[in-house]
This record gives sequence, structure tokens and C-alpha cells, in this order.
Amino acid sequence: MPQVSMIPMPCRVVAATPQNSRDVHYVVEVPARSFAPEPGQFVMISLPGIGEAPFSLTALPGEGAPPGHFELLIRRVGRLTNLLTRVRPGGVLYVRGPYGRRVEWDPFEGANLIMLAGGLGLAPLRAFVWRALARRREFRRIDVLVGARSPDELLFKDDLATWSARTDEVHVRLTVDAAREGWTGRIGVTSSLLEGLKVDAHDTYAFLCGPPVMYRDCLRRLLAMGLYENHLWLTLERRMKCGIGLCGNCQLSGHYLCQEGPLLSYREVRHLREAV
Amino acid sequence: MDGEIFRLPRERLGALIERLALDYRVLGPIRKGETVAWGDVRPETPLALDYPTTMLPPRQFFAPQREVLFRFRRGADGGFSFEEPPSQEPLALLGVHGCDLTGLRVLRSFHESSCRDKVVPHRLDRAFILGLGCWAPCLEESFCKDMGSLENESPAALYAFDLGDVLLVKVLSERGREILQDVSPAAATAEELVALRRRLRVRYETFPSHLRFPPEKLAAALEAAESDILWEANADRCLSCGRCNLVCPTCTCFDVCDQAALDGGEGARLRTWTGCQVPGFSKIAGGHDFRPTRTQQLRYRIFRKGKYMPERYGMVGCTGCGRCINHCPTAISIRDIFRQVGSP
Repeated sequence: MPQVSMIPMPCRVVAATPQNSRDVHYVVEVPARSFAPEPGQFVMISLPGIGEAPFSLTALPGEGAPPGHFELLIRRVGRLTNLLTRVRPGGVLYVRGPYGRRVEWDPFEGANLIMLAGGLGLAPLRAFVWRALARRREFRRIDVLVGARSPDELLFKDDLATWSARTDEVHVRLTVDAAREGWTGRIGVTSSLLEGLKVDAHDTYAFLCGPPVMYRDCLRRLLAMGLYENHLWLTLERRMKCGIGLCGNCQLSGHYLCQEGPLLSYREVRHLREAV
Repeated sequence: MDGEIFRLPRERLGALIERLALDYRVLGPIRKGETVAWGDVRPETPLALDYPTTMLPPRQFFAPQREVLFRFRRGADGGFSFEEPPSQEPLALLGVHGCDLTGLRVLRSFHESSCRDKVVPHRLDRAFILGLGCWAPCLEESFCKDMGSLENESPAALYAFDLGDVLLVKVLSERGREILQDVSPAAATAEELVALRRRLRVRYETFPSHLRFPPEKLAAALEAAESDILWEANADRCLSCGRCNLVCPTCTCFDVCDQAALDGGEGARLRTWTGCQVPGFSKIAGGHDFRPTRTQQLRYRIFRKGKYMPERYGMVGCTGCGRCINHCPTAISIRDIFRQVGSP
């Protein structure tokens, strides 16, 4: 058949953990043994009769997620996600994918890594951090820099604690835009976490995911620190409808991000309108 | 005017439709009240061969406005089973204008180079198309001559010129010859060929020129049009209704949505047309919109047609059919925009 099937696979949920009042974290069985995504790829999740939407993988099989499983964060924002977040362990999510460009990690070997996430951006970035930790020996210093609007909105607090407790040159720093009394941590925008960060700029890769304003601020600072444009990797998440380069919802200056992204280097997108 | 030319008396059109109906679902321009639209035809259906451009282009049959991707049904265990619809029957389109023939070529170029899904090229491969030469601009807003589609005859299998009582039909493919032979046409007479040549000589001059540059120059001209004034002036009038997307012969974007019975037990997942001018098209997670203003959205549409499509798929995404101008409630004109970006 010349037609690419859009039929999803049923995948069993093994854990569903609320992160806060609107975000639920899922551990899901892989749809097939051949399911081997790379960080930055995404899946389409649906409930037949309700609808379908793209979701980032928050952990890959055997890298943060148990072997044979992957992880997802679903935020309640509309009708589909309202119903998706009601699916409990033992229930089923309908999955197709993974979609998106596969970025090989070999070129990053031996370098320092900066993982920068703002708000919901930690969902996809978490898969990058777990990948880096799964292959810890291949990298030098790893900085995990995470910003959120408020302490309540910090996601994956258990992971942040686990990573912070590591002594092998994994450095976690958090910031919030605003906090009530009792927050003893840092207050400031995500990009402020880059202040005073000393890295070997020519041997450092940065991975970013967050709201548009975060990209602009962080890119300016990272470039000023001397990082190369092709060492800055951005996940340009769009609301894909098909995942197979057809529906056009993810178009950026004629590029279909579900095929050519969503993970792209700054060098690839800097000249494109509406990229960052 | 290469290729063999046969004569088909107008009353033999019914025989041609009868022959095509053996192998195809046959479609043609049909008068409906004051307009002409594409519809199913039978041998006795009068074809409106003098039609102006239809509102919806022929792409409606190759990438339909609403198409079932698959059906689902809940089983006794609560799980769903899925079933894809049978593949579409082959189509025959009669009387396709040069602009819409070009639109089908653009549709193919996009689907062949952009994505893994080859269903649209497959449908085009199996289709039978009878092109129809135009004698006069059919809309005030059209500019097919500027966009090089007035004289385009590809991908037609047969291409007809309407001379009143008789159609002179040019054979453009083996399949075209086969089908035409089956309705036993006669060779065109010497007088008819002379009459056709004479009409073709004046035809080109009958169509006005609106642009002072060839379509190949469009991408560079758009890139140079950095000033926002042009875009803002047009976008100020835009109502974001998305009609321009829907009537365009080269728009390909779609939405995916589910339709289910009230108990949710069965239904279908559908693809339906949408477009870059429709509000919400560029919304992303967290309520952000990466192309939030009408100015950006309008510029995107024009850049898509004039720059991104030729750069990526090798064909300009505008056929000059004039539909988007004709159907825009505030008369935003892609032709005027092209003319302005091309002015020194």
C-alpha cells in the first residue's frame, strides 16, 4: 500500500503518577520490540473517538524508563488530555511512532553537556538527561539547569533530587520566576542559571527546551559564552497532527519539523523565520 | 501543437463518458444554479465545458476535504479494533483547465518529495485526465499566463480544444490513445487544424499579463521584500476565514479529528482540510503561538507558495487560477502582492 498507516497500537499503562494538580506522569509498555526512539523524538497518543495529540518522550526504554517501557508527561489542558489523564495503571493508551528526526549521540562523546529546561520543557529534556546518565562515562561535566514559574510548578522533583545527589560531576541548579515565603532557592528566569557558569566553551553541547522567550535569552548567553552554533540543540515542539510530513501543522519556513526536527541545531534554524 | 489530433463531435462526449465509466469514476464540470462545480457525470449529463473556474479545485478528489483514515470499533474486552477503508476507485476528470492541471502537478511534486505517504501520487497515477484549452480568462482575478499554467497540458492523457460543434483532441499518452480509439474518432480535417492554429495564435495575446517577471524570479523577489508595510497593509484586511486555503489547488494541510457514535463504541478518525490562515493553526504547547499575527500568517501563505514550495519541491505553489482572490471576502490579492514584491 502506498498509504502510510495511521492506525495506533494499544499500549498498557503500568504506572500513572500525578506530578501536581494537572500533570500526570506515565510509564507505558512499548508498542513493539522494535520501538527504539532517540531523545527528542515524539509519539502520537490517542483515545479512539476522542482524538490524538503529539507527546514528547520523557524517558526511553532502559534509559530512565524500565526496559520495554517508555515514559510520558500528560498535562490536562483540554478534552483529550482530560480523558488521557484519567487512564490508570492497567488501562491502555493508543500509540503510534516514534516520529521525528533521529539525532545520533556519537558526536557528543567526550564533551560537556548543558541541559536547559524551562517549565514543561523539562518533559522532553528529561529523556536527554537520562540518556546522558545512562552513558555517563562518555561525557565530562553535565549541567542540568531547570527553571519554572513557581516552586509548585517544578516538574520531576524526584528526578531532580536523584540527579542533585550525584557526585560524579552532575550539577543540578534550579530557579523559579517567583516564590512565596519558604523557598530558599534561586529566583530568576531560566537563562540566569547560565550566569557564572564556567565551561570549556568549544567542547560543550547544550540542549534546550522551553517557551520561546527562554530560547532567545539562553541562546544569546550561550553564544556569548563562546559555544558553537552547531553545538546548541533546540527542540522545536509543534502541534503535529500526522507525524509523517504531510499535515503541515508543524511547518517552519517550509520545513516539516515532524521530519526534520523537532530536535535541530541552532545553526540549522537561525536563519529561519519564526524559529526562535 | 505536437501530437496527433483527432476530432470528436460534441455529441460523442457521451460515448467517451460511457467508455471511461467502465474503468473510472467519471467527474466533470456541471452547472449547478449559477455556478459550475465538479461532480459525477453520466453519458447523458451535459458537461459545462465553457465553465469559469470552479470554487473547489480538483485536488478535492485526490486529497479529499474529509477522508476516513480508519474506522474503529470497541470489542467485548473494551479494546478497539481498527480497519482502513478500501482504496479509492480510479478517477477520470473531464475538462480540466491548465491552472488545475498545474495544481495537480504541484500536488504530486509535494507528495513525492516531502513525505513517505504516496497515496496522492498513486491516485494521480491511476487517474485519467482530459485537459481543456481555455480561450479567454475565466476570472477577472486569474493570472494563469503569468504563472506559466495557461499552456500547461501535463498530466493530461488527452487535451481538448473546444471549437463549438467539435472538440479537437490531442493525444498525450498511450492510455489516452487507447481510450480515444474506443470511441472511434476521426482525424481532424485540414480546415479544422487551420482554425485551431489561428485561434491558438491569438489566444496568448488575449490573456493579459499582470507580472513583469517570470515565476522563477518569485522566490528571490519575496526574500528581498523585507519591509513589513506590504504585509501589514494586506493583513489588516484579513478576517482569518481561511477561504484562500480551502479554494487553493496547491494547499495540502489537514487536521486530524475523531468522529464517534454517542456511546463512543465505534467511529472513524478523519483528515479534514485546514490551513495556515485559520486561527489556532500555529498554536503549540503552553498556549504559545509561533506565528501569532495575521501579518505573519499572510506572509507565510505567500512565502509558502512563492518561495518554500519552489525551493523544496521544484514547482511554484501558485497556478494563477485566481480563486483565493475571487473568494476572499476582503479581496486580498496574491497577484497584487506578487506584482508589488516584483517591482523595483
